[in-house]
Amino acid sequence: MGSGGAMGAAEAAPPPPGPFGLTGRIRRNWSARSGQERLGLRLLLPVFGVVFVIATIPFILAVVRAVTSDSGAFVGFDNFSRALGNQQLYESLKETAIYGTVVLPTEILLGLGIALLVHRTIHSPILRAIIYVAAMIPIVIPQVAMGVVFRLLYIPDYGLINALLGQTGHDQILWLSNPPLAIFAVASVDIWQWTPFVYLVMFAGLQTVPPESVEAAQLEGAGSWAQFRHIELPYLRPLLLLVIFFRLADVLRVFDHVYVLTGGGPGRTTEFLSLYIYRIAFRFFDLGQASALAVIVMAFMIALYTVISRFLPAETS
Amino acid sequence: MPRIVNRVLVWVALGLTFVVFVFPLYYLVATSLKTKAELFQAVPTLYPHDPTLAPYFSVLITRGFLGLLVNSIIVGVSATAIALVVAFAICYPITRLPVRRGTRNFVLNWALSLRFLPPIAVVIPYFTIVRTIGLYNQIPALVIVYTIFNLPLAIWMLKGFLEQIPAEVEEAALVDGGTRFQAFRHVLLPLASTGVLAAGVIVFAFDWAEFLFAFILTATPQSMTFPVGVQGLVTQFEIIWNDMAAGGVIAIVIPLAMMLLARRYVLTGLTFGVIREK
Repeated sequence: MGSGGAMGAAEAAPPPPGPFGLTGRIRRNWSARSGQERLGLRLLLPVFGVVFVIATIPFILAVVRAVTSDSGAFVGFDNFSRALGNQQLYESLKETAIYGTVVLPTEILLGLGIALLVHRTIHSPILRAIIYVAAMIPIVIPQVAMGVVFRLLYIPDYGLINALLGQTGHDQILWLSNPPLAIFAVASVDIWQWTPFVYLVMFAGLQTVPPESVEAAQLEGAGSWAQFRHIELPYLRPLLLLVIFFRLADVLRVFDHVYVLTGGGPGRTTEFLSLYIYRIAFRFFDLGQASALAVIVMAFMIALYTVISRFLPAETS
Repeated sequence: MPRIVNRVLVWVALGLTFVVFVFPLYYLVATSLKTKAELFQAVPTLYPHDPTLAPYFSVLITRGFLGLLVNSIIVGVSATAIALVVAFAICYPITRLPVRRGTRNFVLNWALSLRFLPPIAVVIPYFTIVRTIGLYNQIPALVIVYTIFNLPLAIWMLKGFLEQIPAEVEEAALVDGGTRFQAFRHVLLPLASTGVLAAGVIVFAFDWAEFLFAFILTATPQSMTFPVGVQGLVTQFEIIWNDMAAGGVIAIVIPLAMMLLARRYVLTGLTFGVIREK
């Protein structure tokens, strides 16, 4: 069968119940479902079930490990209190926050600015296509390779920036071993790599603004800023939220390029959250404390996801 | 007159931005083509005066990175293939069959939420599991982990592509007396092949770039991936900059080439279908 009627039936179904009430419903209504729907569930459930279990087990194990000792005995919240009592956690959170505050606004403002510039000044389709492909290059570069690229610029003596400074009679700048500078050196890699992503999303958003409303605004004498503020920004708002959410999630997982560039140093000034958990787990082998940290991070991300996913551009239709 | 000044300023700004973004990559490639002698000049040169491919030979053959390259490709191709098959098995029912909205949204939301969890949060359980089942320092461990981690991306990309194929084309085949499998095999699959290929390319690029899990779950060149090797080059043999740069170039070239193939779909994939390319 598979005629349009089946699709119609799906649309007429009552509003989606919660995912957990659904399992009971499936059993009760199995025979009431159309053959097509049963086929769909027969295909979906075994594969999805296996994947769901495989992907979920590690999360459960992380929670289990967080409330047990090395020998497997239940220790309640001991690991959590050790994790939260560790002063270094707060230093790491502070560094992560600094990194995020440097990186996110810079990437968003730069990306948005360039998108507006290109949108308003470059109209040649070929040039736009070239910029499009060029902007995509940084996104697909492995972050380890980014670490290599920026080492060649930042290291003392051989690093190009320091070589140029030396040649012009200036002192070297120890980008990677000077505490306040290292965080910016590491952040610059992030900005280099992800501003183009923001640009691409914003530029794509600008293309969805109806030209008629822009023309109408211009006829009424709206300036560049007013045009952006009142006509274009409303179209970009959901995309801005999307970008902020994606980048925020990525800041919490920053690891590779920092590991290559500074290894978390000098001292622990670039030891962001992921690097911190890594050190607790694989340098100190305190798996209990690290698991507690992992569970806290998960809980935080789930909360953040629940809040933000309501505002993300709906893609469920 | 100010209009012209404005335009010039804009072009200068865009030109500068372009240079800032391109230069680091240029310098990486330039360094990778330098001879050893050129490396030890007091002042590093902006371009290779005596370009040579020796650093590439040195990295791939002398240092044995060819083996890591092969590992990376094996891991990437297997993990991509499995992720695509699994994603297809999940996306086919939720896009082509009348599965209820609630079920469908649960699957899609679950996949999306997986994308936002930092890998470090599950690195410890994966490490424990892999050691327990005897897969530590084995390629299959990476294949399993990469499959799971890139499944959300594969699911969302395939879902986007499958939704764009009208239901009528399959129905026509069914009306003509074909079975659902025949309709899938001879009608849907050929139509979806571009999308599957695009998703495959992007998933492979992500598998290729992965570092954290490979770093933790492998120990020897037997199973190490290329990025882990490059990281080792940086931390252990810092002084051999041209080899290090050559390693960087190789790590970049492969995903770059693939991205050029699938350029129309990269952004769609990265934003989970929110942005659709023309």
